[in-house]
Amino acid sequence: MKALFIISGLGILAMLAEIFKFKRALYPLVLIGILAALVANFTEFNNNESIQAFNNMIRFDNVALAFSSVILITAFLWFILANDYFTNETSLTDHFSLVLFALTGALMLTAFSNMTTLFLGIEILSIPLYVLAASKKNDVKSNEAGFKYLIMGSFASAFLLFGIALIYGATGTFDLLAIRAKISEGMPLFFYAGIIMMLIAMCFKVSAAPFHFWAPDVYHGSPTVIMALMSTVVKTAAFVAFMRLFLVGFGSATSVWAMAMAGIIALSLIISNMTAAAQSSVKRMLAYSSISHAAFMLMGILAVNPIYSMRAILYYALAYSVATIGGFTVLYRVEKQSGNTYDDFNGLAKRNPFAALGMLICMLSLAGIPVTAGFFAKYFIFTALIGSTYKWLLVLAVIMSCVGVYYYIKVIIAMYFKKPTHQEPLLIEKSHTLLLAIAVVLVLVLGLLPNFVLSV
Amino acid sequence: MINTIPIHYYIFLSAILFIIGAVGVMARRNAIIIFMCIELMLNAVNLLLAAFATLHNDSSGQIFVFFIMAVAAAEVAVGLAILSMIYRNIKSIDVDLLSRLKE
Amino acid sequence: MVKLIGFVPLFPLLGFLINGFFGKKMSKGAVGFIACASILASFVVSLLIFLEVHNSSAQKATVVELFSWINSDTLKIPFSFLVDPLSCLFLLNITGIGFLIHVYSVGYMHDDAGFSRFFTYLNLFVFFMLLLVLGNNYALMYVGWEGVGLCSYLLIGFWFKNDAYNRAANKAFIMNRIGDLGFLLGIILIFMNFGSISFGEVFNKASSVSTGTITAISLFLFIGAMGKSAQLPLYTWLPDAMAGPTPVSALIHAATMVTAGIYMVVRSNIFYSISATASEFVAVVGAVTALFAALIGLLQTDIKKILAYSTVSQLGLMFLALGVGAYSSAVFHVTTHAFFKALLFLGAGSVIHAMGGEQDIRKMGGLKKALPVTFTTMLLGTLAISGVPPFSGFFSKDEILAHTYEHSKLLWLIGSLASLCTAFYMFRLMFITFWGSFRGTHEQEHHLHESPKSMTVPLMVLAALSVVGGLLGLPEFFGASNFMSENLDTVILRKNPSILSHETEWMLMGIAVAVALSTIYFAYQMFVTHKVLPAEKESEMKSFQRVVYHKFYVDELYESMIRKPIDLISEAFYKFFDVQIIDGIVNGIGTVSMWKAGIIRKLQTGHIGFYIMAMTVGALTILFFSLMN
Repeated sequence: MKALFIISGLGILAMLAEIFKFKRALYPLVLIGILAALVANFTEFNNNESIQAFNNMIRFDNVALAFSSVILITAFLWFILANDYFTNETSLTDHFSLVLFALTGALMLTAFSNMTTLFLGIEILSIPLYVLAASKKNDVKSNEAGFKYLIMGSFASAFLLFGIALIYGATGTFDLLAIRAKISEGMPLFFYAGIIMMLIAMCFKVSAAPFHFWAPDVYHGSPTVIMALMSTVVKTAAFVAFMRLFLVGFGSATSVWAMAMAGIIALSLIISNMTAAAQSSVKRMLAYSSISHAAFMLMGILAVNPIYSMRAILYYALAYSVATIGGFTVLYRVEKQSGNTYDDFNGLAKRNPFAALGMLICMLSLAGIPVTAGFFAKYFIFTALIGSTYKWLLVLAVIMSCVGVYYYIKVIIAMYFKKPTHQEPLLIEKSHTLLLAIAVVLVLVLGLLPNFVLSV
Repeated sequence: MINTIPIHYYIFLSAILFIIGAVGVMARRNAIIIFMCIELMLNAVNLLLAAFATLHNDSSGQIFVFFIMAVAAAEVAVGLAILSMIYRNIKSIDVDLLSRLKE
Repeated sequence: MVKLIGFVPLFPLLGFLINGFFGKKMSKGAVGFIACASILASFVVSLLIFLEVHNSSAQKATVVELFSWINSDTLKIPFSFLVDPLSCLFLLNITGIGFLIHVYSVGYMHDDAGFSRFFTYLNLFVFFMLLLVLGNNYALMYVGWEGVGLCSYLLIGFWFKNDAYNRAANKAFIMNRIGDLGFLLGIILIFMNFGSISFGEVFNKASSVSTGTITAISLFLFIGAMGKSAQLPLYTWLPDAMAGPTPVSALIHAATMVTAGIYMVVRSNIFYSISATASEFVAVVGAVTALFAALIGLLQTDIKKILAYSTVSQLGLMFLALGVGAYSSAVFHVTTHAFFKALLFLGAGSVIHAMGGEQDIRKMGGLKKALPVTFTTMLLGTLAISGVPPFSGFFSKDEILAHTYEHSKLLWLIGSLASLCTAFYMFRLMFITFWGSFRGTHEQEHHLHESPKSMTVPLMVLAALSVVGGLLGLPEFFGASNFMSENLDTVILRKNPSILSHETEWMLMGIAVAVALSTIYFAYQMFVTHKVLPAEKESEMKSFQRVVYHKFYVDELYESMIRKPIDLISEAFYKFFDVQIIDGIVNGIGTVSMWKAGIIRKLQTGHIGFYIMAMTVGALTILFFSLMN
């Protein structure tokens, strides 16, 4: 709860910085603020007194606190990654406040317990992102990315709202727990239509096929750091929202949405992995692979196991975010030096052994090779799903994760086994080296001691 | 009023409005018209919410409508800003010209 | 002492970390010392633990829990090690031979630019291998399993400037992934049926599950073993893996990693004892692999490729033993094979070192004088692998063949044929390489030298082990006790006492010895007396055939009765299996996914209108189907 206030307060502070001229102090201030929010989260943990607020529209229970901590940790790492995005750009304070407001939306999504706060959270998260995606003013690709994101995002929001309206019509309430209580009484057909429409809108937000078309284009067109933000913080937030909505709100109506979700997952797995395998740009490959990871996390929701699903998704989100941030750190530097194709990674082991090693570990984690966090992430998802009726999905997922290994390994092959196309060493500044080291350590620690997260 | 017109009529009306909006988004090429079509979809939702609010005798549905109106305004403001940037760069607001990002 | 088991994998891990982080800044001597010392330290600990386990009369198996690894509601996996005679034996193999190979590598890799990188990978490999062997549950085993695969991949592609080597590394990786998928599915099945993946719990409950399920589990696990231990049809990566430095071939692709499949099957022997179908399948795959690989080995001219096919063939023999239920014989052969095959690989490395990188045996010859130590030790190794008494290979191979004879005469025949071929191609290698006159360039002849001490001493130690290794498992009717089978008594649940009469055993042994000796004589006649050389190219083969036509009856016989058919078969297997089917499948997977990706990629048109349309169509489909229900 306090974290939400701290982060939104920081956002307002960032806007004031332009007027009161303390732009320089803003960056450290934001980092300290995020840490403070994290600490606040920890103090509230297992404290049952202050979990609800705003007429029970927001509930910061332990699940919410755990996920918001994951988001804050990722955001902290992201701010280290994006340090020069904030020093080189002209409209510095605007970018700060936009990111911080997006973060506010993300925190809201971890804790909503009413469809009003769900809607507001999604919009508070999305609208700053539309702007950020389009933030390279003179780059048509960036403009196009922002525009596409906006149009398709609003389109999906319309679906979400129509779904909310139908559900409200059937139950007379926006409160998730009240809705859950009413489902057993028997509902008219348009209630179920509402659930499906919300499912579609949420699938759009987490970029699951066939509602994923925006993601590769938007990711590709946006500045690389913004893409890193979208595929980590935003994705995690969208998943928590998805999970809370469908497990808490519609958990007892699985017969309506589970089959549809299984189909969506299967389609996402196939499309994303096949397309990712065919990419020549690492950036686009990561865009498609993020769709594949979304499908894996959806499998956690599909398991509809109140304890297991939540833990599996929490672990997956953390493992995925950390490895992605690490991967983006290297990609970001490589892109600045030459470009973002596989060939630009050629011989990276010679040009910067540390960056190559970091990338290696992050890629192995994303591919789900053991001892890294990614392996257990997949493993927990699989074990969560194994009790459900969708075992065929498991087989497909295992096969598709093998395809996944192929395109992640391609990066490793380029780094370790190919002659460098650019001879000059790749320079990485201190803060990014530190960031990469943190990411690698987290990936390995999570892999070696998965209990650390599971004990939540 | 709600007693004279059955609730299903409202649902069908909003559904039709919603579909008209959706078809518009798909079919039109002018970006401004696309924004208007999205607004139409949102207004279909507003109508539905207002009708349900009256049906349930519950004010929260009507309050939700205010939220939607505020958020839609913000969305359009951002959209128009991006659109003006695009116009500055390619001198057009035809969405079919925006297909540089693919594959 | 057993409580100190954690130190065994810890030392190589420390070596890996130190060399990995500071290797570049340290001198080569320091890097080599740290790498060797870490393995030696684990060897010493392993040896002490082995002795303690062997001497303790009551408690043979101890589970040492280091920490709680995964601990969720339905799944509890402790990070625990299982110390029993089987894992101890493998520990000794890995650390002992690993140490010798590390010492050898110090000399072999001395001038290589990637010296510290090499030892970093090598130490990491040993760490994962120890994890694989020590793990007390399938999850930990799988971690080790994947880890050694990764290290093998890194080491095959060690000289990454060569594209062919990279392809070899990729092939190895893909083949192993196919196997690993099987293994993983096996583990999932085990978990689903037993609710646990700890060895003790699973094995205790094994008989409570239906035989069909056990068969499925065993087969899935065996698919994993087929990949890792290079069995038909997943074997082709191993010969290609020879692209890596020779010590790597000796350690990973001969002595340790490739035997992981054997270890896994022995560890899970209760499943295979229950499921006769799975056992039969293992035996047949093993026997057929043993023969196929041996046949292909007959015609190879690359010294390391010959040894590689020989490894595949010997692994096949071990699986044959597993399939007929002779688990302790298989472990016995793993041990002796580790001795002599490591020796042969290291000897080959020493030859290659002396020849300045040349690997083609046609360009060698007469190396006997220049490389006396290498020659003597390799000869001992060759005698051992060919099954000449009283060298180690004789006893282990004989034990396997005796058990096979008991099980099925046909499989025995296939196994014997495979060992006949083995004796032939191994002596062909020896005779062509060390006898006759030198056929290389003048420069190479000038350069010929015996390898440094650090390389020859490990050779000598391994040679001694190859000679006396047979003592570990003397046949019971010799009167002595069979150390190997008694040692593994507690681990193996289905005992396999020989029911053959002593006369039959003597007869089988006699046949084996006679076959081996006559094959060696035959090879001597061909390659030393008549100086037959493998043809350089196919076009020369015909003129070569004309030349040898009038020479001698033996040549004619060989040509028409053995060589030609074998040529054909060998060629056919090589072309058909290696090139067509296996490569075809591997490339096929790539092509299919590319082709599909091509179609899917076109969907990403960049047009918003199309995207929204696709979304709407998707939404309508989902709405329709969901609400129909």
